[in-house]
Amino acid sequence: MAQVVGSPRARRLEGALVYVVLAGLTFAFLFPLLWVLGLSLKTRLQVFANPPLYLWWPTLENYADVLTRADFLQAFINTLIVSASAVILSLCVGVPAAYAFARFPFTGRSFLFFALLVMRMLPPIAVLVPMYVLFSKLGLSTTRLSVVLAYTTFSLPLVVWIMRGFFEDLPVELEESAWIDGASRYTAFLHIVLPLTRPGLVAASILCLQLAWNDFLFAAVLTNNATQTLPVLMTAFNAGDSGVDWGGLTASGMLVILPVILFSFAAQKHLVAGLSSGAVKG
Amino acid sequence: MGGTRFGQIAQPAPVVTSPARLGWRLGGVSLDRYFTRIAVFPTFLVMLGVFGMPLAFSFYLSFTGWDLHEALFSGRFVGLANYEDLLTDRVFTGALGITFAYTAAAVTAEMAFGLGIALLLNMDLPYIRVFRTALIIPMMITPIVGALCWKLLLDPSHGVFNHWIGQQIVWLGRPDTALAAIWVVGVWQSTPYVMLILLAGLRSLPTEPMEAASIDGASRRQAFWHVTLPLLRPYLLVALLLRTIFEFRAFDNIYAMTGGGPANSTMVLSMFTYLMSFVRFDFSLGAAASWLMLLMSMLICLVFIAAIRRRDAN
Repeated sequence: MAQVVGSPRARRLEGALVYVVLAGLTFAFLFPLLWVLGLSLKTRLQVFANPPLYLWWPTLENYADVLTRADFLQAFINTLIVSASAVILSLCVGVPAAYAFARFPFTGRSFLFFALLVMRMLPPIAVLVPMYVLFSKLGLSTTRLSVVLAYTTFSLPLVVWIMRGFFEDLPVELEESAWIDGASRYTAFLHIVLPLTRPGLVAASILCLQLAWNDFLFAAVLTNNATQTLPVLMTAFNAGDSGVDWGGLTASGMLVILPVILFSFAAQKHLVAGLSSGAVKG
Repeated sequence: MGGTRFGQIAQPAPVVTSPARLGWRLGGVSLDRYFTRIAVFPTFLVMLGVFGMPLAFSFYLSFTGWDLHEALFSGRFVGLANYEDLLTDRVFTGALGITFAYTAAAVTAEMAFGLGIALLLNMDLPYIRVFRTALIIPMMITPIVGALCWKLLLDPSHGVFNHWIGQQIVWLGRPDTALAAIWVVGVWQSTPYVMLILLAGLRSLPTEPMEAASIDGASRRQAFWHVTLPLLRPYLLVALLLRTIFEFRAFDNIYAMTGGGPANSTMVLSMFTYLMSFVRFDFSLGAAASWLMLLMSMLICLVFIAAIRRRDAN
């Protein structure tokens, strides 16, 4: 695509220009993160230096402080537990449904599918208000389970959408020959279909993981100090009793986003499918 | 598989042909017949329990006066009073205006920048993948962390931006700059989102129309306006729909940077509903505000789906 017409020299010049523009844009887009990464490697004195330091000997003391804080470790463990549970629950619930959506007609199929898409479009705060009320009446609020349930609800459309695509791409003859050989639908699904859609399962898990890891709103409302996740703890660093804790905030911020960046690169191929889920015609 | 067995594929309901190997059973009944229902049931249950019931309950709540200490269904019926209260509340109507203005401004900028960058990234140049990967980072990272990073950059006394311009502007503390700052952060975070969708669109476009256009002597500008853009329309609509829906519910950045202030200048609907419900604990008003938001989201979706469908029908 984007045929470049003209002499080779003009073409090379244009290529160089594109690189310059892209390099500038990339720097502009990454600058906030790079600057904060820099701040996280400064001592308290260096952070407040005026004019700001552009060259300094980096220190890891902020990271050492954060990683030895009990509340950070607790929040980190909470985030891990909550994210992992949400991913597992979403897959266990969503993958069989996606398979049914892809393969077997049943009453209410299009309605259920439409309802799933609607779920993705609704503002989370509007769901959170009654969710909080019902959870607190059930004694579930401030538990990790409540957050896991909330994330599962919001991941389900994503899982169903992605996995349905993968199942539909699979030739139906595979299962048919298994059925003929006497396998039940469960056996065919578990032992033949699922192993073949492993890339889809990986993509779906990473997108669910990202959703759970990055969420702030649900965790802020549905957890307390003991069950809070990292994004919630981050806002506490921001508004502590002694003002903004620059070292803690910057170092913990970098630690929070590192796993997401790594995971996202792994799932890059499937990002678009996940992003546009629910918007492309179903 | 041998040729003689091929015909067996056409046999109906192969499942019941060899009951001896039907695997899972419950009380002597083969579960295989209910496979579809069993597969869909958990999803149905989660949707109903964690989504349907709460929404129905908040619909009920929005017509009552209710306090968290009361039993679930003991609120007294007040008709449309909650909705009337909201629509006559200056803060709420203000939030309505700010939400629509913010959504329009943010989505416009994201679409424009996203399209521009997607066009650049679509060029066949060596190592362009590096840029594709680097440019999507802002949208990947935890939104609240991104917003807090910007807050540090915009810090009145120690922020690097104020140092560069040599002034001490309280960006997030002034009604005339706070929303603009939130807008910058929103655009920074979500331009990659648009870029990614449009880039996928550009790469899936057929090449023939472009070739035909260049054979016919169309300039690159003409080819862009009359060939690329119309072909890209479905992707543009999808990006526009998703961004509108997601900016309409914007919350994290505003919570982290301004909390709706100063002087309610960044009070969007999500923030208003949050404060009403979880700071003032007025869940009846919160439910009414939620339902107004839900209806508006649905309306936005319907408009876009109609636009997408109309295109498909043509």
